[in-house]
Amino acid sequence: MSDSTLDRLFGFRNAFDDPVTAWLTGITVAILLVAPAIFVPLLRIKSVDAAGRSEIRKRYLSWLVITPMLILPVLAGAAATIIGVAILSLACYREYARATGLFRERAISATIVVGIGFVTFAVLDHWYGLFVAMGPLAVAAIAIIALAADRPEGYIQRVALGTLGFLLFGVCLAHIGYMANDPGYRPIVLMLLLTVEANDIFAFLSGKAFGRRKLAPNTSPNKTFGGALGALVLTTILTAAIGHFLFRGTPLDGWPQLIGLGILISGVGQCGDLMFSSIKRDLGIKDIGATIPGHGGLLDRFDSLILVAPAVFHYVAYFKGFGFDETTRIITGG
Amino acid sequence: MKRWRLQPARDLGLPLGERLRSLKRESGLIDRTARLFWWSAVRVYFAVAHRLSVKGREHLPTKPPFVVVANHASHLDAMVLAAAMPPRLWNCVFPIAAGDTFFETPVTAAFAAGLLNALPMWRRNCGSHAMRELRERLVGEPCGYILFPEGTRSRTGVMASFKPGLGMIVAETDVPVVPVYIHGAHEAAPPGRRLPRPRRIELRVGPALRFADQSNERPGWRNIAGRAEDAVRALAGR
Repeated sequence: MSDSTLDRLFGFRNAFDDPVTAWLTGITVAILLVAPAIFVPLLRIKSVDAAGRSEIRKRYLSWLVITPMLILPVLAGAAATIIGVAILSLACYREYARATGLFRERAISATIVVGIGFVTFAVLDHWYGLFVAMGPLAVAAIAIIALAADRPEGYIQRVALGTLGFLLFGVCLAHIGYMANDPGYRPIVLMLLLTVEANDIFAFLSGKAFGRRKLAPNTSPNKTFGGALGALVLTTILTAAIGHFLFRGTPLDGWPQLIGLGILISGVGQCGDLMFSSIKRDLGIKDIGATIPGHGGLLDRFDSLILVAPAVFHYVAYFKGFGFDETTRIITGG
Repeated sequence: MKRWRLQPARDLGLPLGERLRSLKRESGLIDRTARLFWWSAVRVYFAVAHRLSVKGREHLPTKPPFVVVANHASHLDAMVLAAAMPPRLWNCVFPIAAGDTFFETPVTAAFAAGLLNALPMWRRNCGSHAMRELRERLVGEPCGYILFPEGTRSRTGVMASFKPGLGMIVAETDVPVVPVYIHGAHEAAPPGRRLPRPRRIELRVGPALRFADQSNERPGWRNIAGRAEDAVRALAGR
């Protein structure tokens, strides 16, 4: 392995080489510190009851824990980022499997865990061929493993749930990890996390401000057209502003491309949110898990991220590629 | 087109502490893998340190549902019974353990639920509700229980009479109740002793009893407890 590869994988000293990384980290930390100064007086004025106040405090404290868990691996290096994404994939799959009942199909679950292991290896290795191949191969493996029980009743359901689970958490999420094969991945991943989470907050706030018509009352009664449009505008402005500094000197640095990126993050992010609302409605449950106090499960928090990850990956890759100049197959060689 | 049957985990959405104590707890790959290693190690321990022998192995249950009832005079009892089961039953057998001993602190609860797969029985208020939940799970899942119907660990090693709670779980069902007498566990690790001594332990397993004909009411419960007690005592005297 060359020095530049090792630097990319473990070089936490280079964390702030790109000033945009430092800016994004600083802004995030600042938002977390300033947030209580805004919501504490606001709660007084609006006279929120005790239950609501403790709910908001729980949410905020959870953010204080989650944020470093998201940012620190990204700053620490590509290896930590990729392992972090793998852990997130496994944890999300676990919640999904418990919510859908797929966890009772142990053979399928084990296949998916092994599949996520292979995907993570492909990402670490910078082996795009295997990364792409894992989609169809894992689907084939799930379909074959499910045969072993010789129980045709419910076969389609088991295989379909397994396939959806693997593609969402094994493949879609892993695209965030794959971004780390580019030496300049830090600001891109940080921007992705920041804008996707900001998108949720923008949708909530603009929904409160001028949300009237319901967007999809059967799927998610609290979402409005006003909220969706407000988030679309605000997230696009935020993304384009960050992207302008981030992608300076690349083919992505033009307003049409940057606005396209913003619309993609906001639109696909909100669709991801709706997708998990649909899944929860279908299952008849309110939260997918109880992993994060005040938020519900990991999937209740990161639902928007899952569909955005591959979309942004391929959009950015179309213009500037991910790690094209880097050594590939750093472990397997060849 | 058939409708899909989606059944979320029965303990979904419970915070971790409550989940460990829930009678509805369902385990996944992580717990199962941990348990496989744990029971294998426990099995080796009993074979080496206590020269464990099983008389009447052919009577041990082979598939759920079942209830194993035994005398209780040592903390080793539940472990030796579970470890002696065929490995494919390790994940569907639940020792019923005293909630106030094993599920009070988070650490012991994690150990009892995660590794032992124990379900808590709160002795102060083990009302009919908890019994009904256990009964539904036994038949519906199906699964197996390890139960000590004396209700407590004997301090002297002498067996006490069985409480009727066992009857509330199995009356009017065709679930086999397997009587076992545990010989030697009290000598190896009596109550109050921290670490067990290397003493021989023998399990004596008797043929299964069935109580489909016993009414699910107080007289039926007493009858069931009495017959199960007699079966264990008969094994003790052999």
